[in-house]
Amino acid sequence: MPGVENCLQEAMAIPGAVGASIVDYTTGFPVATTGAAPNEDHQAAAAGTADVVQAAQSRSLFVSAVPHDLLEDLIITTAGGYHLLRLVRTDFDSRLVLYVWLDRIHGNLAVARRRMQTLADELVAT
Amino acid sequence: MKPSKTAAPGRLLTQVAGERQTGALVVGGHPGGTVYLIEGQVTYAESPAAPGVGELLTASGRLAARTWQAALDAGTSRAHVGRLLLEQGHLTQGELELCVLGATYDAAYFALSPASAPVDFLDGATHWLGQVVRVDPAAVTREARRRARLLDEIFPHPDIDTAAVIPVPRPPVERITLTAAQWELLVSADGQRTPADLAQLLGRAGYATIQELRRLAALGLIERPPHREHPNDNPDFVRLPRARGTSVDVQRPSVGVSDSPTVPIITGARPASGDPPPSVLEPDPATANGTVYRPPRLARRKPGAKLPKDIAADTEHTHPGTDEVLLKRIRTALRALR
Repeated sequence: MPGVENCLQEAMAIPGAVGASIVDYTTGFPVATTGAAPNEDHQAAAAGTADVVQAAQSRSLFVSAVPHDLLEDLIITTAGGYHLLRLVRTDFDSRLVLYVWLDRIHGNLAVARRRMQTLADELVAT
Repeated sequence: MKPSKTAAPGRLLTQVAGERQTGALVVGGHPGGTVYLIEGQVTYAESPAAPGVGELLTASGRLAARTWQAALDAGTSRAHVGRLLLEQGHLTQGELELCVLGATYDAAYFALSPASAPVDFLDGATHWLGQVVRVDPAAVTREARRRARLLDEIFPHPDIDTAAVIPVPRPPVERITLTAAQWELLVSADGQRTPADLAQLLGRAGYATIQELRRLAALGLIERPPHREHPNDNPDFVRLPRARGTSVDVQRPSVGVSDSPTVPIITGARPASGDPPPSVLEPDPATANGTVYRPPRLARRKPGAKLPKDIAADTEHTHPGTDEVLLKRIRTALRALR
């Protein structure tokens, strides 16, 4: 049964992963972090992550096209890398997102996305 | 146990953490809270304004109340309720850690945000949940301060955080957009529940609740609480229901206190801090001079007479939800005494 630390370690094992964290997106607070963060600032990265998730969620265009359509993940591509945000759905009340920063050259977007889905599911699955 | 002293909770936390102490930092006042430390690291925090791990897990239906209670009964005495839930396979390690982390930061915000409050340090006290996570106390205090700042960026009126939530009868604009969380709060706000009540009832984090309420207040969708002269003269440990109509027509003619209602109304004993009951009976001379107490005579209502509108709205001051929340609080308090 993986814990939070374990989940982040496995996220770092994704090919090309540079850093990973779990972020509370209502407050922009990094609940757990590992590895590098953009500008070496996990706090700022978490705040930015929270802004992006909230922006996507507050626009009905993305989250209410069909009933029960929920935001699953967000991918931001830059020249140097990928920033993957995957929502962690817990049964109890929480607003968490798994964030992985991927190197553009070493990372494989499709592989990373699938691994993150598994990780987010395993973290809360019985 | 040292006598209670008044200090900044954050500073005392830093101090006991620096000494690598084990125990509980109890912060008084409203809402107050308790931060638990093991060897200078924060392991849990709780506050009446923030649903605890048990409330979060049971209110969401993640755990049956029975399962939670069984784990409490079996694990409280040896302080390993958390481990028990994992061993019995009710939760995954990840879920428990995330839940405890969320509840801890949530409660720590309420416990540590006052600039000064009566604080105590109970040396050696541990929480029945046991050690699930360890958090750097500096991170906790920093986060509590940051959260307070975030709220003020939304709408800088802290009185919203504690006052009963009253949705405005009419939105100030023609078209409004709500998030799902805001909708939940508005449909559950009955004019008497406080943000803490709503958080417990809905099983949502206390801080997230306040955040949404500040947003709603900024949008003009909930009423600004009236300014109270002495916010502390009415400690709402057990909150007495306040009489407030929720959806009275704004156009209704205002009835002054001097206007005698068409029908005499008997009102029961009310909290002294509330509005004085309308004086509809002629004062009994015996009661007036304070020598003999005689219950007021019951006035007879004329057949078919209706209550005046504003008083009719006034009388609905009990709500099933109030009892629910009160029971939950009593249960939590009893649990804490074990």
